Amino acid sequence: MLGEFEYLIVTSAVGLGDKAYGAAIREAIEAATGRNCSIGALYTTIDRLEAKGLLTSRMGEATPQRGGRSKRMVRVTGDGVRAAKEFYDAVTRISRGAAWAVD
Amino acid sequence: MLGRDEREAVLGDLIEAGEGARQAMLAVLGLVLRREAQVWKIWRPWIAAFALSVPCSFLLMGASLAVSRALQNIFATSHGLVGQPSVSPWLSAIPQALLLVGWSWTGGFAVASISRRTFWVSTVSCLVPCVFCLSRFQVESLSPPCLLLFLVPAVWGARDGLRVGEIKRASAILLAVAVSLLTIPTLHIHGEPWWNPPRWLIALTLTWPAWYLAATSETRRHEQWKDGEETS
Repeated sequence: MLGEFEYLIVTSAVGLGDKAYGAAIREAIEAATGRNCSIGALYTTIDRLEAKGLLTSRMGEATPQRGGRSKRMVRVTGDGVRAAKEFYDAVTRISRGAAWAVD
Repeated sequence: MLGRDEREAVLGDLIEAGEGARQAMLAVLGLVLRREAQVWKIWRPWIAAFALSVPCSFLLMGASLAVSRALQNIFATSHGLVGQPSVSPWLSAIPQALLLVGWSWTGGFAVASISRRTFWVSTVSCLVPCVFCLSRFQVESLSPPCLLLFLVPAVWGARDGLRVGEIKRASAILLAVAVSLLTIPTLHIHGEPWWNPPRWLIALTLTWPAWYLAATSETRRHEQWKDGEETS
């Protein structure tokens, strides 16, 4: 099963669709959690997810606001979507009856 | 320390996020440290650096010294400095020198092929015992560099290990058998029994890289055969 941070990456990458790349995923995670997301944690986790076959990555285009540097584009695979759903279902199941859970 | 593509992506992300120089440096350092730490999560770098480089370095310095003494003996005999021995000193020196080359080459090759990314750590692990022994070298008839004879074939083996990563199965087995056969005479020196623990332990420690290379080449051949069977 996915870890918490892996779930955050996969879910934000799915949400961003074709615009999923390092900086965008990082921004999405920081906005959702209110916590700092380090580049080191992000890229090593992306590597791990890629090794597990849950996502793929490729080098994308360079833009002026990035100083002409290329983006590392990320795409979630079918297995990645299944793993994220499995994690979500488990969290939802275990949260039933918890005081903070929304029915 | 980072690959070209990764450097591009990370620097681009940092520019896009408007990170300051200090924060950017810490972010890159964090990534590099995490990358290095991940490499050490598996057994390979530990085996290469601490179970192979360190003990083999100590033992091969001993073997280098033995070869130096054998060569010194040849020199002394040929120049009439000592009496003519009953057995030619070449008969002792040649197998010892070949064995030193075999042990050192296979050791260097195994260290490089077991863990390429941490090869620099293995190199340091090999050099630390060398510095330690050089600083305490007190053999009057030999010069300190005699201790480091093994480094030449070891570096040669490591270079080949980094370049090709594996050797052909037949060559690997031939090499392992040759090294093992050359090891046998060293177990019988001075009439001591071969089961004398320090002696066979030393031989085993220095010979296992050769058999490791033979075993891994066998595995690779088997995997290729399996792949071929599955695709056919």
